[in-house]
Amino acid sequence: MPKLAIEDLYLRYGSVEVLKGIDARFEEGSVVCLLGRSGSGKTTLLRSIAGLEEPCRGAIRIDGKPVYDAGQGVNLPPERRDLGFVFQSYALWPHKTVFENVAYGLRLRGRTKAEIGAKVQATLDGVGLGQLADRYPSQLSGGQQQRVAIARALVYEPPVILLDEPLSNLDAKLREEARIWIRALIKRRGITAVFVTHDQAEALAIADQVVLLDGGRLVQSGTPEDLYERPETLFASEFMGTNNTLSVSVAERRDGRALVDLGGHRLWGVDRAGASAGTGRAKGVIRIEAVRLADGAGENRLPAEYETSIYLGNQFEHLFRCGDQTVRLLSDRRAVPGRHWLECPPDRLWVF
Amino acid sequence: MSKPFRIAVVLATALMILGPVGLVIYQSFLSGPFFQPSSTLTTQAYEFVLFEEDDFREAFLNSAIIAAGMTAIAVPLGCIVAFLLVRTDLPGRRFIEPLVLVPMFISSVVLAFGFVVALGPVGIVSVWAKGIVGFIPWYLYSKTALIVIAGLTHVPHVFLYASSALRSLGSDVEEAARSSGAGPMRVALTVSLPMIMPSILYATVLVFFLGFELFGLPLVLGDPERILVLATYLYKLTNKLGTPSYDLMAVVVVAIIFVTLPLVYTQRKLLAAANRYVAVKGKATAQKPLAIGAWRWPAAALIVAWLGFTVVIPVSALVLRSFLSTWGEGVAIWPNLTLNHFRELMEYPNLVRGIVNTLLIASVGGALSVGFYALVNLALHRWRSRWTGLMDYLVLVPRAMPGLIAGLAMFWVFLFTPVLQPLRQTLFSLWLAYTLVWLAYGMRLVSASLLQIGPELEEAGRVVGARPAQVSRDVTLPLIKAGLIGSWVLIFVTFVREYSTGVYLLSPGTEVIGSLLVSLWGTGAVDLVTALSTVNLALILVGLALMYALGNKRHA
Repeated sequence: MPKLAIEDLYLRYGSVEVLKGIDARFEEGSVVCLLGRSGSGKTTLLRSIAGLEEPCRGAIRIDGKPVYDAGQGVNLPPERRDLGFVFQSYALWPHKTVFENVAYGLRLRGRTKAEIGAKVQATLDGVGLGQLADRYPSQLSGGQQQRVAIARALVYEPPVILLDEPLSNLDAKLREEARIWIRALIKRRGITAVFVTHDQAEALAIADQVVLLDGGRLVQSGTPEDLYERPETLFASEFMGTNNTLSVSVAERRDGRALVDLGGHRLWGVDRAGASAGTGRAKGVIRIEAVRLADGAGENRLPAEYETSIYLGNQFEHLFRCGDQTVRLLSDRRAVPGRHWLECPPDRLWVF
Repeated sequence: MSKPFRIAVVLATALMILGPVGLVIYQSFLSGPFFQPSSTLTTQAYEFVLFEEDDFREAFLNSAIIAAGMTAIAVPLGCIVAFLLVRTDLPGRRFIEPLVLVPMFISSVVLAFGFVVALGPVGIVSVWAKGIVGFIPWYLYSKTALIVIAGLTHVPHVFLYASSALRSLGSDVEEAARSSGAGPMRVALTVSLPMIMPSILYATVLVFFLGFELFGLPLVLGDPERILVLATYLYKLTNKLGTPSYDLMAVVVVAIIFVTLPLVYTQRKLLAAANRYVAVKGKATAQKPLAIGAWRWPAAALIVAWLGFTVVIPVSALVLRSFLSTWGEGVAIWPNLTLNHFRELMEYPNLVRGIVNTLLIASVGGALSVGFYALVNLALHRWRSRWTGLMDYLVLVPRAMPGLIAGLAMFWVFLFTPVLQPLRQTLFSLWLAYTLVWLAYGMRLVSASLLQIGPELEEAGRVVGARPAQVSRDVTLPLIKAGLIGSWVLIFVTFVREYSTGVYLLSPGTEVIGSLLVSLWGTGAVDLVTALSTVNLALILVGLALMYALGNKRHA
């Protein structure tokens, strides 16, 4: 049985449909990332799980028990769902000390003073803030505040913790460190975590399961590798990674492969459009790191004029012009102006 | 808060608002007092007031003229003062700015006494002017003087809205105009002023509306020449026909609300429009004041002259008069200085009670009112429901009721409702009327602090396991504590200043300084009136000092 199940969930604000039938299952102990652009409904979905938004159809179950079920008329208020929630702004109560912020959930649960003291201290130690219990939130740095927010959500040991873009207010360096320790912390405690982010790199780094949302619908759900290497739709393939999206015409589809024509040059790629698709105009997507500079003409290669380069530090990004289309690729060498041959490996070129 | 509790609070507030209004409307269709069984339903009172009563027509016309006239004075002057203080390098603007709002904090009846004592036919300044030029070059009791004084005392209202709009306007929009080639004057006329137009429009309707509500100034300044406005007509009507004519009074009240309610509704719409405009403002970075060169000095002189005329002259004359044993032509000031009027004040038990009651209702009552406003606000807080929309409109009703009318309606409610009758001559009736009159103002004060709490602070409380009531107690209330204290101080000053609400509720036990002043003025006891006014000013000064100490910079 999944730890958290979302079944055919719909939510509307007035006449605007924000969630249009989401179905997803999250396994116990896994870190799930809800990934999508702003407006994709990912935060709304997270808030619906917490009970902060009210869907209009569908169900949300934790351990098989409904916390929301439109059919049965169940809609538990947030305080009865027993979840942890980390807000994007952290939402630490400015009038309470760090200790009191973390202790509040335990007080509400009627724990003894001794137990509260011990648990809060242990949780704060766990996030590396054992020394700062008497401070007020305004006396902490952004990174420390974030840790308090996480401690507050974990202290009463909820089975599921929800995090709404918890890293977005940190600077780039801190964010990379935080990814690692948050994942380690969640894994150590063995709880299920649902994490909202619009940053695909963050999702890939932190998640066991990535759920890609677009326009209130679920696009694809799977492991980070599934999403990056085996995108099922054009949207998923373009959303992840950095890509060349080429306008091609399909000459032939055969055995899961497609032969496309790009400015008179023939390339083989993976057929992602399914059996029903015919020939004609199509999109070819290839990640920029998959295109290689070749030394001459050959299979699955096309000629291109060198346009310009960007120096990225560890490598170069080159821009080539091929007819009226541009192709970007990564290389650790400089390129000289003039004509070059670019190789697109057939298993890395996806045709939709 | 649980839903039934929220609905209960809304219904109780609705009853408190609609009860008095409903009673007045009911009374307006009766042939006699509502408590007399012989009264029958009729429209004869309407026919009499609207078609036969010349005084009413005249009062209505006067109200319209005075409201229009004072708006024409207050709005341009208020905008100029706001522009000069907020946007230019006027000398001493940091010092002048807080003083500009002072007229708002002084009861207008007290200010009116001040004008009489200073500029009346035997006023202190008048006598001094006569000594120099041989005659008094002005006449205080004319309609023109009333319009000018009303206009000048309402400059702060315009200033308040214009200045806050100007402040939220980033200098970048002006700098953009400057770099496109516009001079400072052109920038002001083509960029700054048009951008704050919605706020100016709002202030214009507000001042016009306040003009219709005017009571203290025309009561004191209009009386000698029998210049009646709606509120003073209503006040005179009480005694005009010998016996109180409930039906006629009710009709006048309905007529006033008929004028003010649309104005209040327009204000609400305009305010929403003004706020929308602010949302598209430029980036509010540090503002660079506009250099106006040599114009600085005449501009500063203009503001100082306005302050001198509207505050310094009437207030200092009033205070001085309260320490003078007598005053008239040829009376010297120094030999006549005395404390006798204040001693005399202490000999009248009702005046002493009035002072004590004023303090009680402003401090304890003010705190209770803020508590009530907070309760209603919390009941509506983060509640997406039609009930909140209903409340939005309901609070417009008390705003449309001038204090005099609300006091009258409350008086009738206490007469009408058997369970409330024993409370009529207690401070409770007065407190309820005060709380009702200032409901919209108080609600806005409290909601301003509530708006500053991010919703996620409360949501965080819910998800860690707190019920709505626990969130209110443990998160929301502690966070708005400072705001509530600030609101209490402002309500304190407001209640000390209030004079019209208590007029009809005045009875042994419910005296307050404001209503005592109104009734004492009718008896011509100038010595007592000036002494009591000075006490009132001193109490307001205490409130302002408190406000300053708290660093409270929020107003109206």
